[in-house]
Amino acid sequence: MKMKEREDKYGLAQIGGVESPNEVEGDDAAPVGRRTFLKMAGFSMGAATLAGCSRGLERNVVPYLTLPEEVVPGRAYRYATVCGACPAGCGILAKNLDGRPVKLEGNPDHPVSGGGLCPIGQASVLGLYDSARLAAPLTDSQPVAWDEQDLEITGKLETIRNGRGAVRFVVDSCSGPAERASINRFLDSFPDGRLITYDPLSVSAIPDAHLATHKVRALPVYRFENARVIVSFGADFLGSWISPVEHTAGYRSGRDPKFPEQFSWHAQLESRMTLTGTNADRRWTIEPGSTGQALSQLASRLAGHHGVDDSLPDGALNEIAGRLLAADRGSAVVVCGVNDPETQILVNTINDMLGAYGSVVDLAASSKQRVGDDSAILHLVDELTADGVDAIFFRDVNPVYDLPSGSRIGAALDGPMVTASFASMRDETSTRCRYACPEPHYLEAWGDSEPVNGTVAVRQPVMRPIGKSRPLLETLAAWSGRPASAREILREHWRTRVHTRGRGGLPFDSFWDQTLHDGRADVEPLPVRHDAMDRTAARPPQQLASRREGSFVLELYPSLAVFDGRHAHNPWLLEMPDPITKSTWENFASLGTEAAARLDVQTGDEVRIEAVEGEALTLPVVVQPGQHPKLVAIALGWGRSGTDRFAKIGPQWLEGKPTVPGGGLVGSATGSLTTGTEVGIVATGKTRDLACTQIHHSLFVPEKLAIPGHERRPLVRETTLAAHATYAAHHEHPSLWPEHTMEPHHWGMAIDLTACTGCAACVIACQAENNVPVVGRDEVFRAREMHWMRIDRYYGREGDGQDVDVVHMPMLCQHCDNAPCETVCPVQATAQSAEGLNQQVYNRCVGTRYCANNCPYKVRRFNWFDYPREDRLQNMVLNPDVTVRSRGVMEKCSMCVQRIQETKSTAKQEGRPIRDGEIQTACAQTCPAQAITFGDMNDPESQVTHRKNDSRHYLVLDELGIKPVVGYLDVVRNRDEKAEPDEHA
Amino acid sequence: MSTHEVYSTLREPLVDGNLTPADVTRDVCAPMDGKPSGLWWVGFLIAVSLLGLGVASVAYLMAKGIGVWGLNRTVGWGFDITNFVFWVGIGHAGTLISAVLFLFRQRWRTAVNRSAEAMTIFAVMCAGLFPLIHMGRPWLAYFVFPYPNTRGPLWINFRSALCWDVFAISTYFLISLGFWYIGLVPDLATLRDRAQGLKQKLFRFFSLGWDGGFRTWHRYETVYLLLAGLATPLVFSVHTIVSMDFATSVIPGWHTTIFPPYFVSGAIFSGLAMVLTLMLIARKTMHLENYITERHVGAMCKLIIATGGIVAAAYATEFFIAWYSGNEYERFVFINRAFGPYAWAYWTMVTCNVLTPQLFWFSKIRRNFLIVWVLSILINVGMWFERFVIIVTSLHRDFLPSSWSYYVPTKIEIATFAGSFGLFFTLFFLFCRFLPVLAMAEVKGVLGYGRSRGGGDS
Repeated sequence: MKMKEREDKYGLAQIGGVESPNEVEGDDAAPVGRRTFLKMAGFSMGAATLAGCSRGLERNVVPYLTLPEEVVPGRAYRYATVCGACPAGCGILAKNLDGRPVKLEGNPDHPVSGGGLCPIGQASVLGLYDSARLAAPLTDSQPVAWDEQDLEITGKLETIRNGRGAVRFVVDSCSGPAERASINRFLDSFPDGRLITYDPLSVSAIPDAHLATHKVRALPVYRFENARVIVSFGADFLGSWISPVEHTAGYRSGRDPKFPEQFSWHAQLESRMTLTGTNADRRWTIEPGSTGQALSQLASRLAGHHGVDDSLPDGALNEIAGRLLAADRGSAVVVCGVNDPETQILVNTINDMLGAYGSVVDLAASSKQRVGDDSAILHLVDELTADGVDAIFFRDVNPVYDLPSGSRIGAALDGPMVTASFASMRDETSTRCRYACPEPHYLEAWGDSEPVNGTVAVRQPVMRPIGKSRPLLETLAAWSGRPASAREILREHWRTRVHTRGRGGLPFDSFWDQTLHDGRADVEPLPVRHDAMDRTAARPPQQLASRREGSFVLELYPSLAVFDGRHAHNPWLLEMPDPITKSTWENFASLGTEAAARLDVQTGDEVRIEAVEGEALTLPVVVQPGQHPKLVAIALGWGRSGTDRFAKIGPQWLEGKPTVPGGGLVGSATGSLTTGTEVGIVATGKTRDLACTQIHHSLFVPEKLAIPGHERRPLVRETTLAAHATYAAHHEHPSLWPEHTMEPHHWGMAIDLTACTGCAACVIACQAENNVPVVGRDEVFRAREMHWMRIDRYYGREGDGQDVDVVHMPMLCQHCDNAPCETVCPVQATAQSAEGLNQQVYNRCVGTRYCANNCPYKVRRFNWFDYPREDRLQNMVLNPDVTVRSRGVMEKCSMCVQRIQETKSTAKQEGRPIRDGEIQTACAQTCPAQAITFGDMNDPESQVTHRKNDSRHYLVLDELGIKPVVGYLDVVRNRDEKAEPDEHA
Repeated sequence: MSTHEVYSTLREPLVDGNLTPADVTRDVCAPMDGKPSGLWWVGFLIAVSLLGLGVASVAYLMAKGIGVWGLNRTVGWGFDITNFVFWVGIGHAGTLISAVLFLFRQRWRTAVNRSAEAMTIFAVMCAGLFPLIHMGRPWLAYFVFPYPNTRGPLWINFRSALCWDVFAISTYFLISLGFWYIGLVPDLATLRDRAQGLKQKLFRFFSLGWDGGFRTWHRYETVYLLLAGLATPLVFSVHTIVSMDFATSVIPGWHTTIFPPYFVSGAIFSGLAMVLTLMLIARKTMHLENYITERHVGAMCKLIIATGGIVAAAYATEFFIAWYSGNEYERFVFINRAFGPYAWAYWTMVTCNVLTPQLFWFSKIRRNFLIVWVLSILINVGMWFERFVIIVTSLHRDFLPSSWSYYVPTKIEIATFAGSFGLFFTLFFLFCRFLPVLAMAEVKGVLGYGRSRGGGDS
């Protein structure tokens, strides 16, 4: 079925009847019964209505005259493809309903994602339905036809070719092997053509260091699952560094308290608080810029030199060196997030001493997730400013925005004869280019990926492109005068370059089909030859530069929401609470507790950050425990042009404030500021309402209100590995009431807080699955965010300064067996299901909010307004299986009841019981750390029952007798103390 | 009726000024006879303006959604339920005076019972408004009634205190209205006899054919007694049930067994204060000094001391039990109440509700009506804050610190609150203008109190 109205509005007539890729995941259509048919028909009518999604409007629903092959309305199909949200290249499964993708999930067969997906990947499906995407190519900002533009560009390229002009093609690491080959072929036709890979979040120093030490410019793959000791100097490998999903899975698998001897010890030395730092067993705050010195001292210590200087705090050097030396050879690793070759050479030296190469640090299976070369892009800037470039192309990169020298590039782009951007939206670079040749969203185009040597996958389109965008492969083919479809070009590349590496000896067509189906192919890695470690490469580190009294060192770090800024148009990510600060819709200047006290500023006060030379930046302050007093940290990726369109994203009413104050942009760009710059900070005296979802940040109650003995709320149980060994099972509180019996299933969940890193993937996965609205900055500020799943982040005692423990606690409806919300609803709009789910009946709800008041976990969310969903294209992302809630009703986590029902009906059709693990809630599915387990508690063998029987299992607020079915497994830190400071009485 | 009763001359007179029943009729009907005074117009226009403001803000609320109030995911009730409980409480004194004191044969009540009863009805109307408009989808408010339906049938949740509220408030309103109306019938007959034209027709209709005969009086007094008997338990049940909205929850600060008596005494406490506020104005502006005397004011002040004492004891008990329970959440809520972000509200409450009534121990203060009037307003403020403190401070920092928040009302909420006062006073001004503010028939019955027999008899 499809809606009449949609056709005309967007020219999407084909969407319903999308020429779906032939390669459907092995999904044998079961015979459809009458009931199922009616259910499906009901679903799809609902789906069509929801897609339009204006409350109460009547629309025509017109069935297909002839049903397209392989598309059953209301039935979900999953296509294996590759995430293009960042260069990590996670394999994903795109869930298609009625011809359009509505949800992305990690592909369990893909080694990079392992079934998990990060919040950015989860949210990237929304980018597909962004109405700001270009619908047609532009020349001088005017829409033109492709052939017209092709003619003009090829004409100019011919001139350049004949004049031996310089052609530069700038891409980031997202471009796959086929695209790179295609670009190279294109560039080869010019006497002076060069491909430049530029990663805004560069780790270029690591390959550079390996060139110096191992004579190969390669980025190794880090296998944290093999590490028993992990020492990270500022590398946020669980948050933003290279391949967080892969690292999280590996890290987590090495930290199972069931196997204490395998449990890794993780030390983090950093100046700001990173997501990785919040998970560390030991965390030291070190002076900004002192990493090189510390590494050098560590190297000397490991080499057996005693009496070396110790610039690290509190005996950190001794403890780390001791741990590293005690570890078995090849089971310890040092990683470092500083993008400086000299520092990375020291890291290589240490890793070589530890024997990490070959086990934890895999140089043979080198990573292609960041292949950028900083020197190349710097050289390009010089070339451009010297007018030495005749044609320049930008793909997936936005250097005018994200390079500190971006404004220079912007100005220099008037020079070359051809300047073209393939960006699908008008970004800072694209607007400076003469030609905009928009590419489709990655879910609409053919491509491939090889994030790690030997891990290849095809990126297949899951939907026909919206608008008249054209894939790069086709554009280049057209410019080369050999037009071909992207699929053909890709197949050709695979036939000649990939199939030849294939294992198993399948003929090409079968190999191709198998690859599409599996989402990856099994091929021989390309040989990476490297020399043995050259230990002489290490040089003594530079001394710390002396700084002015009272000045700060600036650190710019990747945002965990908008990445390098490429997702700054994604409202889900803009409203995602930052995993550390819980702030939304803005970037800010993080200042350590002592620094804030010194400057006499508090969270929300505005400060001016002034570089000695160059521009100044005005930002609100967030006081960040665990940050070095000399550091000011600012997230990259904010203040992107065009984000002023989000000004009116929230409800418009008398006292409502715009999401973007003053018609500006969402957040502030860091402009020409660079990491390591010395800056001064002045309070402006103004304050800003920071939209944080959490205003009390600690489990400790405010000191002046604390009762001796009850300063800390026992909501999160923390223990040490040493204490954990002697754990007895926790008794449950007795009840006077008979137990409820739930038949045939009793759904339950267990969340392992030791595994949870706090990355917020579950938050966005839940938002995508359950049609959770975006409410805008002002609503978040008013504590009305709508997320069904949130992650509570608690610091240790408030004002603990630099040495602070952090816990992350995913919090969602606990589906209590004796739910307090159910008894108080006057109209029975919330009730217990026979299978133990606490169900919210939207059309019965009158909105008294009594249930929310009476919820001890405060997980219920009220529709304060009719949260606007006016962007009709964006509404296509809505999951048709989930009702969109109207104003005035309460909503909350449903344990993805639509997934439960779907699986139940499938199992019934197939006449078999539901298998354990077959149903996964959206949050459990996406978790890269597999911290969340969902299942049937009636099944004694289910995973969730095993976790519930674990001695680490506890219930939050168990003493209320409300019997939540969501349980938690406590936080275990690898420490020696046996004390259990946070044990329940 | 009254002529057959024998009064002790040792009693203090209930009505001053040696009035005759004719004087009573004249005095009480005076506001209804002439054109309204300028003062009445000023008061009425202010009240109507406030009502208009309230109507506009409620209309805006209906158009936009509950989001125009300052509530959030943590504090789901704020001004709405505070105002609800506040207005319900105001009503209680009216019922206490008209029904309970009637049963206890407290004849001094005759001077104040009519207007106190009117106050009850208007206050309950204001109160009933808030649960209705606080709903996210008020157009579905009928869902809270157990009406026959084809959805199952789907019934209301009888376990929910909000449902009990629906019954309690509607019963209370109906009984109070009936009680008030029955009490009005003899006076309406008096008005009928004095009026002409349309007015007479209306009064004739509403006086139900009153003929002043013995049989009529007998039946009237029987019905009145029965209704008084029915209304009396409501004084206790209504606010008990309102308190159960909180007491049956799991939220620390709400989950408290002391709430029913605590709320009932608080309600009477606040209601008496409101009666005083209104009576003292009416006495002055409507020249009822002979009817509402020092004795009345004094009696009510003493009742305020008593109920205020119960309220103060409840505050202390809450703290003691919180400490004694050993429950950390419970303890925290009370410490947070007194010293947390809403400490200002808590100490306003304590000052107004605990300290203010103590001044009534002094007869000098009881006799100074200006001071009594100011103090009565302070008590009203204090009692409003009591509800605010109970609702908001318990919610804003409950179990999980991650969800702690702060609640600030929006302009629309404040306007709605003002609008409820507008509604109340508009109705009250209309009442003063169109109905006898004193129960004439009853006052006539107590004219003989404290007089020598034969002096000024009718």
